[in-house]
Amino acid sequence: MNLRESTGIALAALRANKLRSFLTLLGTIIGVASVIAVISFVEGMNRFVSEKLLNAGSNVFQVDKFGFITSNDAYLDALRRPDITIDDADALRLTLKHAQMVMAAADDRLRVHYRSKHVDGVNLRGRGPGYDVIDDLTIAEGRHLTDFDDRHRERVCVLGPEIADELFPGMDPIDKEVRIGDQTYRVVGVTKAKGRMLGQSQDRFAVIPVRSFLKFRDERASLTVSIKSADQASLPLALQEARNVLRGRRHLGPGRPDNFGITTADTWMEFYRTLTGGIFVVMIGVASIALVVGGIVIMNIMLVSVTERTREIGIRKALGARRRDILTQFLVEATTLSLTGGVIGIVLGVGLALLVGALSPLPAGVNVPAIVLGIMMSSMVGIFFGSYPAFRAAKLDPIEALRHE
Amino acid sequence: MLISIRDLHRVYQVGSEEVHALNSVDLDIDRNEYVAIMGPSGSGKSTLMNLLGCLDSPSRGSYKLKDLEIGKMTDDELARIRNQEIGFVFQTFNLLARADALHNVELPLVYAGVKHEERRKRAREALDLVGLSDRMKHKPNELSGGQRQRVAIARALVNKPSIILADEPTGNLDSTTGEEIMAAFERIWNQGNTVIVVTHEPDIAQHANRIVRMRDGKIESDVANTRRIAVAAARS
Repeated sequence: MNLRESTGIALAALRANKLRSFLTLLGTIIGVASVIAVISFVEGMNRFVSEKLLNAGSNVFQVDKFGFITSNDAYLDALRRPDITIDDADALRLTLKHAQMVMAAADDRLRVHYRSKHVDGVNLRGRGPGYDVIDDLTIAEGRHLTDFDDRHRERVCVLGPEIADELFPGMDPIDKEVRIGDQTYRVVGVTKAKGRMLGQSQDRFAVIPVRSFLKFRDERASLTVSIKSADQASLPLALQEARNVLRGRRHLGPGRPDNFGITTADTWMEFYRTLTGGIFVVMIGVASIALVVGGIVIMNIMLVSVTERTREIGIRKALGARRRDILTQFLVEATTLSLTGGVIGIVLGVGLALLVGALSPLPAGVNVPAIVLGIMMSSMVGIFFGSYPAFRAAKLDPIEALRHE
Repeated sequence: MLISIRDLHRVYQVGSEEVHALNSVDLDIDRNEYVAIMGPSGSGKSTLMNLLGCLDSPSRGSYKLKDLEIGKMTDDELARIRNQEIGFVFQTFNLLARADALHNVELPLVYAGVKHEERRKRAREALDLVGLSDRMKHKPNELSGGQRQRVAIARALVNKPSIILADEPTGNLDSTTGEEIMAAFERIWNQGNTVIVVTHEPDIAQHANRIVRMRDGKIESDVANTRRIAVAAARS
């Protein structure tokens, strides 16, 4: 059949009555736009998360007091566990054969002063040697903290670039003394900027040796020990070793549960997937409701169109149109309608994704499979909801149709 | 014989009552005949026209067109016959309002599966034949009644059908324009086409050289139009 003619008729009908067309297509537009937008967000997030989460390498895991807590009860239980001490961290470092690196860490959040200036909400990181790898930090000026700094509980620090800029505008921060809490620390290095992640600056921190942290800041802090295995394959071995060492140190008999937590990148990825899975389910719900409503509206409009054009159908049949010619014509029209909605929806969805991507830290990119999906969904809506009206048109009796006023 | 109809019945069910719109009709029409089918409303002439035009199937009896039995055909086969063998001209023109003259004339060729270029060419030729070469891009509402009917005639001719079937072709036209249209049929007939005109106007029927009169679903009379033949003879 004449594809161009049918699409032409559908597009002309759309143009002829813009408000009605808009209302007709609204459901499809919303359905497709929401699918495109959400897929773009989730895809962007996925890329972002796997990049960031795994940036220290996926063969890193953490041992700490709490582990991955998902309920209040579990949290209250975990509070009663013994702290992870620097001795635990040392024991792990000395005994793990499959670990390439064992780094103890403790964190706090407080104000950093330099003379009359101060910066609030600084992430104070007590870090053992190896933090540059685990935290993925590169030095821009000066030097990293060393093993020596840690062993001697030196009061030295490495600053994130944002803090350095705010405290030392136009000055060289190296060898300046900053006050963190009630101690002064000498700045030995500034790291390179890492930018923002989910709206949080990654450059507002100060690193001090973990033993200095324990000595001057918080003696009783429970540590988080990051362990990097030699490679991906030895991760489970290192993990098992770490468990055994800690259980041995705590004299846990067989059958007693661990009184510490182990978190791998997988734990986080799994949690993240559950989260985005939920978003997907909600999105599919919203989109399918919108698409069904959109489809019903299109069906309604097509039924009106068939009635309005009964005589035309009669003429076409008299001139030799077969059932399938008429069926195709109306299916093409319905599909043209829904595809138009789909294309508008795609433009809106992509626009929304790009807008949010530009205005907020949420990453979102144009996702080609999502666009293909949007086109497929909208044409399916047209074909599915257009078939009943098209079928009605196709089986009209030519004599009756010609007589129709 | 082009058309051969034997004992043709068409029965409609109206409520519990059966209406015999056609009651045992026999009719033969040869190639290049010019036949008028006349009769008052309710005489069955419209039903006969629908059957002749393959828009409808008989309840009983036989209708052979070029030796093909129409009564047994499926919807799609009938559509093909209408497309290839029948050229309709209607009282109300029945042109597609949104399409220009050229596209209206092309339509039967679209359903015949003729390629675009060829379609254009043949539609132009058909419009040429009815003297509308300068109106090809006009839509029906930009044309006069007579011009619209000439577009319809061009559309009927474009697929070179066996029968031109006209249903009250002058019913919506003033008498001068009506005469023009009848003159067009005359030319078509002279070119060797078979023309069947359904009408209740005696003046129109007088153009044919055979007049079939219907009454109550039967053929009342089927005679040669002696006056017409005499006029034609006198002209030559």
